[in-house]
Amino acid sequence: MSTITEPTTTQLPPPRSETGLVGWLRANLFSSGFNTVLTVVVGALAGWALWFGLLWLFVDSDFTVIKTLGGLLLIGQYNSEQACGEARNCFWRPQVALLLVTLMLGMSWAVAGGGLTKRIAILVTVVVALFAFLPYSLERMGWDVRLLLVANVPALLLGWALARYTALGTWRWVAILAVVAFLLTLVLLRGLPGVPGLQPVSLLYWGGLMLNLLLAVAGIVVSFPIGIALALGRRSRLPVVKLLCVVFIEVFRGVPLITLLFMSQVLVPLAFPENFPLDSLLRAAIIITLFSAAYTAENIRGGLQALHPGQAEAARALGLPGWQTTLLISLPQAIRNVIPAIVGQFIALFKDTSLVYIIGMLDIVELSRKFATSHVENGMLPYLDDVHEVFIFLAVVFWIFCFGMSYVSGRIERHLGVGER
Amino acid sequence: MAAILQNLTYQGIPIWRHDQVIQWTAQVVSGFLVVFLVAWFFFNIVGAVDEREIPYGFSFLERAYQTPIGQHFLPYETSDTFLYAFGVAAVNTIVVSIVGVILATLLGIFVGVCRLSGNWLVAKVALFYVEFFRNVPLLIQLYFWFYIVLALPPVREGYAIANRVYINNAGVSMPFPFPDGAAAALFWIALAAAGIIAGAVVQRSLAQREITTGQPSYPLIGGFATAIVVGAVAWVVISLVAGAPLVVSQPGPQGAFGRIAGGFTVSGGLMALLMGLIMYTSSFIAEIVRAGIQSVGRGQIEASRALGLSPMDTLRQVTFPQALRVIVPPLISQFLNLTKNSSLAGAIGFADLTNVAKTMTQTAPAISIFILIMAAYLAMSLTYSLIGNLYNRRIRIA
Repeated sequence: MSTITEPTTTQLPPPRSETGLVGWLRANLFSSGFNTVLTVVVGALAGWALWFGLLWLFVDSDFTVIKTLGGLLLIGQYNSEQACGEARNCFWRPQVALLLVTLMLGMSWAVAGGGLTKRIAILVTVVVALFAFLPYSLERMGWDVRLLLVANVPALLLGWALARYTALGTWRWVAILAVVAFLLTLVLLRGLPGVPGLQPVSLLYWGGLMLNLLLAVAGIVVSFPIGIALALGRRSRLPVVKLLCVVFIEVFRGVPLITLLFMSQVLVPLAFPENFPLDSLLRAAIIITLFSAAYTAENIRGGLQALHPGQAEAARALGLPGWQTTLLISLPQAIRNVIPAIVGQFIALFKDTSLVYIIGMLDIVELSRKFATSHVENGMLPYLDDVHEVFIFLAVVFWIFCFGMSYVSGRIERHLGVGER
Repeated sequence: MAAILQNLTYQGIPIWRHDQVIQWTAQVVSGFLVVFLVAWFFFNIVGAVDEREIPYGFSFLERAYQTPIGQHFLPYETSDTFLYAFGVAAVNTIVVSIVGVILATLLGIFVGVCRLSGNWLVAKVALFYVEFFRNVPLLIQLYFWFYIVLALPPVREGYAIANRVYINNAGVSMPFPFPDGAAAALFWIALAAAGIIAGAVVQRSLAQREITTGQPSYPLIGGFATAIVVGAVAWVVISLVAGAPLVVSQPGPQGAFGRIAGGFTVSGGLMALLMGLIMYTSSFIAEIVRAGIQSVGRGQIEASRALGLSPMDTLRQVTFPQALRVIVPPLISQFLNLTKNSSLAGAIGFADLTNVAKTMTQTAPAISIFILIMAAYLAMSLTYSLIGNLYNRRIRIA
């Protein structure tokens, strides 16, 4: 009699060559002969590019031009003598505006309760506060400037505490206060005649990154509702409204922004009576906003079209009036579906703010380019050779903002579950 | 009257909440507002134009433009009219647009396919390319390339490759065939076009044969060979009868300053413009291509691999034709974007449509020029849309 023993099955671990680093390398880089060759060639090219890139960055490049530009990059000629008077004491106004931004970031952090918002708020504040420790001499960057930069940390905490411990801690309040803060920023930067310390600064001297950000924020905030209105108008059953919206959208989408901008300088002044208070920067801002609104409208229209008609029909069947159906049922779903396209449009808008060079404004790009190519010292052009450093630097600055926006949009998308429902 | 009112207050709904009343009021009010605004702008413009004695209308088109245009593809003299100068500028934009669209599409497809490569390194390099170039303003990229060209050595110390291609800070000069005797050239071009058509026909019929009989028939090779043979034979025949239709012009230093003359010179501005436009647009096209390829069901690829098609054949014969349906509509809007973005050329000194029009407004009425520009860009957009839509109709599932 024999006893039947179960064959002992010991589970063997997968072979060493299939796991860990070796396995990963085999699967992703050397899975076939062709892949191996590809890896070697691309790796060699990438390594070569990286080597020379780093060599240039750390050995050959000369970033003194960026250092010399310093605060000009951020606020342009805002604090210059022509703009602000001999005392040149306007620097605190953009800085206080920045404090308002960190305050709002602090409030959003508290309302969102951590996560990505928290990380963004802390990162931005820390980076801004670190600017206070730039190794400039005290003559170029005084204690007052540095103190106002460090003050962003308490501003963030104040905002957080405000939202945490008072009734202001809701998204509705944050949104209202953000609009208030933006208007306050504009007043602060423009100045109020007759108020000591707030002498008016002509829009001509607004510049630097501040100008790009202001144009972008104003453009995004204003163009979004206009875009929604245009999209609804284009889908309207009313022929006159529809026709007007179609003509508007197609005219603005059909012509390059540059053409519109320079026409805003040549043609638009003729269309208004003389002495009409419409500054060239304001005209440009309006054109950029309307341009962006036309594109946003088409994105939202796409979202509305993709919506199942059953949604609106169900809403009507439940007795909702037409405008409530649109506002509460159709639009939220339509917008949620086209978040990537809308954020893409906002990124494009931010990149397009660099086009204001055409109306003679010194935004961060034009200011740095002009400085590098035409700044004269002792009868020489000392920074002409460093013009590539300038553009690499500017590319990185814009990249951080644009990539940041698309990253946040991706997170929001995932949060809202786009493509899952 | 009473009947109308009664009709409107139907079922006790007050008149101001009646749907049709609201709609009509909205239409009349908005229409009236817009008409009022437009009229106001119009009368202001007319007033300003009269006051400053700016000539208006389109009579300026007959006048001589009298301003040089940097690089141009059509022959141009400063004594030519505004109308012709406008055409020269439009051709500049069209050439940039067509060259840019073709190269950006090729590069974009390549990068888009690389994004999906199973090779980690290739995918990451492509990802870096896309994320970098699409998140940096085109203006900065244009400036970057432009100042690289400007940093090249001056004309006299420039590089010469085999005394045929000259590279310096004025641009790249290379040999280029120019027509020698317009009639012969036109005749040859006509015959060459006929050769291309014949090649296409041969390619089609060979492909048809391959599909029906299963015999390898090499349609691409056959088509190309036909086109080349027809072109070459036409060349030889015309050369014997009327002299060579096209003469290759060689660039070379000339005069006291060693300026490069002859051949064809791609100016620094044009080079930077194409470089910037192609890289910028291809990063967007790459993402469109990737999304299109990913939209094709996995089963399609697995089935084609199971049937024994190689990965390359799977991509070419199975994945790509299906992905095209998703790719084409957004691709056309990228073509339009590239065309419109070429208006940034003014920043780097290339005379495109917008840049020339901008100069024209100094001596001609702005409103007429604006109308011309709008018409020109509209025509280009419509052409691209038309071609795209026709193509889209051909490839969509019937």
